[in-house]
Amino acid sequence: MGRAGGRGRGVRAAGERARPAARRARHRCRQTAVAYLFLAPSLAFFAVFLLLPLLFAVLLSLSRWAGFDLADIRPAGVDNFAALFARGSSFLTPVLTNTLLYALGTVALALTGAVLVAHCITRLRFQGFWRTLYFLPIVTTVVAVGNVWKYMYEPGGLVNGVLNALGLRSVAFLQDPATALPSVVVVQAWASLGSAILILTAGLKAVPHSYYEAAELDGAGPFTVFTRITLPLLRPSLLFVCVTQFITGLQSFALIIVMTGEGGPGDATNVAALEMYQRAFKYGDWGSASAAALVLFVLVLVITLAQLWLFRRKGADG
Amino acid sequence: MRRRGRVPWLSYLLVGAGAVVTVVPFLDMLLTSFKGPGEYGRLPYRFLPEAFDLSNYREAFVRLNLPLLFRNSVVATAVITGSVLLTSSLAGYALAKLRFPGRDLIFRLVLATMMFPPFVFFIPHFLILVHWPLAGGNGPLGDGGAGLTVSIAALVMPFLVSGFGIFLMRQFIVSVPDEMLEAARIDGAGEFTVWWRIVVPQTRPVAVTLALLTFVGAWNEYIWALLVSTANPRLMTLPVGIQTLQSYLDPHRMVPVMMAGLMLSVLPVLLMFLLLQKHYIRGVMLSGLK
Repeated sequence: MGRAGGRGRGVRAAGERARPAARRARHRCRQTAVAYLFLAPSLAFFAVFLLLPLLFAVLLSLSRWAGFDLADIRPAGVDNFAALFARGSSFLTPVLTNTLLYALGTVALALTGAVLVAHCITRLRFQGFWRTLYFLPIVTTVVAVGNVWKYMYEPGGLVNGVLNALGLRSVAFLQDPATALPSVVVVQAWASLGSAILILTAGLKAVPHSYYEAAELDGAGPFTVFTRITLPLLRPSLLFVCVTQFITGLQSFALIIVMTGEGGPGDATNVAALEMYQRAFKYGDWGSASAAALVLFVLVLVITLAQLWLFRRKGADG
Repeated sequence: MRRRGRVPWLSYLLVGAGAVVTVVPFLDMLLTSFKGPGEYGRLPYRFLPEAFDLSNYREAFVRLNLPLLFRNSVVATAVITGSVLLTSSLAGYALAKLRFPGRDLIFRLVLATMMFPPFVFFIPHFLILVHWPLAGGNGPLGDGGAGLTVSIAALVMPFLVSGFGIFLMRQFIVSVPDEMLEAARIDGAGEFTVWWRIVVPQTRPVAVTLALLTFVGAWNEYIWALLVSTANPRLMTLPVGIQTLQSYLDPHRMVPVMMAGLMLSVLPVLLMFLLLQKHYIRGVMLSGLK
């Protein structure tokens, strides 16, 4: 009896412990099912439009294929990559050099402009108004931005009109190989100024006001305040803008398509992403286009990682 | 005290000059759109039109199939924005508030999706849509027809889910108090009800921001729309359609007509931005991407 009673108590005790555990397990199981249900549309999307395309891009870069029939894909090894870097290929120069110059030029111009404007805006009234003005290009389609500037650069356009009014001769901005790339760079910088200013003004707002007051008491001039207080304290925001704009610059080609069509004159404004686009959709050369895309991808990745590393290191001691 | 009263002339000058450089192209677009035939390109350059000629707008209407372009742009933008909001909210809730195996891995995957540059995907996406099985005359293996490039689905498919959107939503939903969710669950609400009745209303501010960012991005998208409409002109959106104007008009007449068309395509977004700029600016601050 005693033993049986003991056993009975034991079973009951175990049952009482087991029931909530089972409920918890069932609850966890249900939560997992619900979670994956909530995630299903996104995961399905990433599988079809991210994973599959990445595999596809690698496969295509190692193949020869000019058609639309999937059965015609022929293996080609690294031929596509070899052709890109072969002697006489235009991919290294001028295309990749243009890409780097384009990104560097854009970052240099936009960053300088944004630092100056952001610094000055903080001392003005109606800051929101100014920021909104500078922001207009960002919400505008690249087709509008590109075309307006394209026609402003024409001999009968606004820019040459201003030059003429100042007694200077007209410049064939987009038609002259020497000026075409810088002309597009200016527009890209113009279009990206707004977001850079926004991020930098946010960074400036985080600088304690007492720093400026202390500097003023010490009799520091505006230039000293700018170089000794503003710039060093702004470094994290500056690096962030620098990294993101540089990556954007390396990848962009929509503005170039709109302004110079095929990257002309000659290859003067041709960049890697545009080269890829044309190889694929103009010449139907999917293999070498995919190879070009992957080369640019690796370039962007390496530069990004290098900048992130720099970002972190500077962030740590700064 | 003395300093506060001093007007920062140099700053006004610099910011003002920069603002002029920013705004003048927009003004030039507006003013050129009113210039009469033969007025553009005449030397010396005149900023103001001789007479405010509205015929360029009429010409843009005649030359372009504007009802089709507007319909494509509006439908594509609406579908993309709706889908991104819905999928981001659902996935964001799961990643923020539900406990399940693989959560960290999936969250890391979502973060990784933001790192891939879009141009890597143009070719594969296009081929995937062309070879979409059992669509547009394709067989089960995806050959034989034009696939999804026959329908407006082609314009929206690659943009239906946004890694950034999921990330943004997840970060916001994390801050919704667990007690609110627990209270609803104790009252017998299922996870779907919890999401719809508690989470969705709580996340309205971030949803407005995400909707605006997505709307502006989708409305202004150019390269993908260009690609898809090269395969099927019925899929032209406003930016693509207006760009085609330059191919069939002579320059002096064409430039003002193009500017009129551009004004039509830019105005909806500019107005929306001016009305809701606070939300949009917050979005850009959060993303730092554009």
